[in-house]
Amino acid sequence: MILFFLTSGLFLGWSLGANDASNIFGSAVGSRMITFRKAAIIASVFVIVGAVLQGAGGAQTLGKLGAVNAIGGSFTLSLAAAVTVYLMTKFSLPVSTTQAIVGAIIGWNLFTGNRTDAGTLSKIVATWISGPLLGAVFGVLLFMSVTVIKKVSGIHIIKFESYIKTGLLFVGALGAYSLGANNIANVMGVFVPAVALEPLNIGPFSLSSAQQLFLLGGIAIAAGIITYSKRVMQTVGANIVELSSEAAMVVVLAQSMVLFIFSSSWLSDLLVSIGLPAIPMVPVSSSQVIVGSVIGIGLYKGVRNINFKLLGEIAAGWIATPLISGLFTYFSLFFMKNLFMIDVGHRISEGSTEISPASMAPDPATSEMMRYIFLIIITISLIAGIYVLLLQSKRNRELKASEEKFWKNMK
Amino acid sequence: MAVFARTTKKVILRIDEFFDDIELGILVFREGIKSYIHKDYEAYERHLHKVESLEGNADKLQRIIENDMITHSILPQHRAEVVMLIDKLDEIIDTIKKSMNEIITEMPVIPPELDKDFITLAESSANAAEELIPAARAYFKAPYTVREKLLKVYYFESETDKLSLRIKKRVFQELKDTDLAQKSHLRYIVHHIENISDLAQKAADMLSVMAIKIVL
Repeated sequence: MILFFLTSGLFLGWSLGANDASNIFGSAVGSRMITFRKAAIIASVFVIVGAVLQGAGGAQTLGKLGAVNAIGGSFTLSLAAAVTVYLMTKFSLPVSTTQAIVGAIIGWNLFTGNRTDAGTLSKIVATWISGPLLGAVFGVLLFMSVTVIKKVSGIHIIKFESYIKTGLLFVGALGAYSLGANNIANVMGVFVPAVALEPLNIGPFSLSSAQQLFLLGGIAIAAGIITYSKRVMQTVGANIVELSSEAAMVVVLAQSMVLFIFSSSWLSDLLVSIGLPAIPMVPVSSSQVIVGSVIGIGLYKGVRNINFKLLGEIAAGWIATPLISGLFTYFSLFFMKNLFMIDVGHRISEGSTEISPASMAPDPATSEMMRYIFLIIITISLIAGIYVLLLQSKRNRELKASEEKFWKNMK
Repeated sequence: MAVFARTTKKVILRIDEFFDDIELGILVFREGIKSYIHKDYEAYERHLHKVESLEGNADKLQRIIENDMITHSILPQHRAEVVMLIDKLDEIIDTIKKSMNEIITEMPVIPPELDKDFITLAESSANAAEELIPAARAYFKAPYTVREKLLKVYYFESETDKLSLRIKKRVFQELKDTDLAQKSHLRYIVHHIENISDLAQKAADMLSVMAIKIVL
């Protein structure tokens, strides 16, 4: 049953992968600097690694906002957030998964009578504004540096572009890692307090209950990237193709840095150790950070026709998305509880720590099933990988033979 | 990464070699016209052979460069323009070969009083094309300087226009003893020589826009 409830989170993860991978590799794939296959493999691997290794920070913050204490509640609010994202995207309204999930948690808090922590909420909302602003600042600084290096070095543009191409791969990997680390909280964060699994040992590594959920969410994001992001990437690439290749790389790097900052507990601890305030571990919208850095670079280059309508739509999305998602969650929870008699959570008494997954007994049957699921996924991935490699090698051989024939006859 | 670097290096070298071929072709064209005017047909034939070999090599390089740029996705945002620029430069050496072949086939009789004018015309037209090459090279290394380099192309092209007009006026107004067929033939040869600078100007116009786009 738990696995069924997780499907809404997996669906959210799939749609996040399908949409947000384009923020990382869209310009590179759209302009054909990198093939979709290469981009999809890099993005998938690093999204999963980022989610498993560094996904805890954002999930903890969402947990503080509202500790959903029944898997039925997690399922419902995750589904409500996913449907909100889907519908708003369908009607071409700017939407962020982060804002939808925050609205859904507040909706759950209202329904179950739990208090929404104003401090955590204000911290999250502050990052919605500071994320794009930081994106703009990083974008401008990085763009200035790259432009100066290009001009001073007098490098051949073809050589420069080949460096950019390599850079896009590394920056894309970093972007995917940061996306996984930062946005996995949106996908699986609400399930963490409600699901307890036995630790999973893979060789020398041991994955905690939360990390197993993040791994599953990461795989869902990867599935979204592989199955559905190609078209989105090509559209995004065509839309921002006016950006030069170096600007495209800078935008992705700026976005990666912002996402990394808001999910790196190590960096936050470092700041605290030197007497500076801690960085809030909050999932931020990668799309809005991208818009921030594109506008920043545009302003630096002296572009005057800033799309204020787009900025207004983003600002409106800060209010509309959580509101719609919250209302939708509230009514969905009502139906789930009263119509299907599903436990969607209850009020937590002040000072209670019952939400900690450590305090819940892990379910051996579910943990066992989870192991089999991971085994099946790994096996399928390996078979698919070998099949794709063989197909690619056959294509390369045929292309090489055809090329040799062409150039032989040309002589 | 090594594959990237190797292909990139090869394409850069090939583009440089292509520019060298065009530059040399223009130089040989200038010398060829001088040889023809001085009635040194043996030297002219030698120059023609050289141009033919350079043109053949430039054609081959053009195909390889285009192929590599598409296959290895080099400079995707500016690839179409770079390919078109290379095509325009190739058109210059194609036209040089075609014009030199027509001159040696038709053997126009150039009156001695026009010798100097024809040499100056060929010099000026070749200069316009020659000045295009450093600008085209600069596009790849210092695009900020392309437009100032192109000024010389426009200057020589306009000089060529003036010279060609002057020669045509002299042919039709001063050469009283020359028949109309020969006059028309001379005008045709003037067009052939002048054509090189016109092609250089067209390529310069394109290069100028390309430079703005890549700098912005």
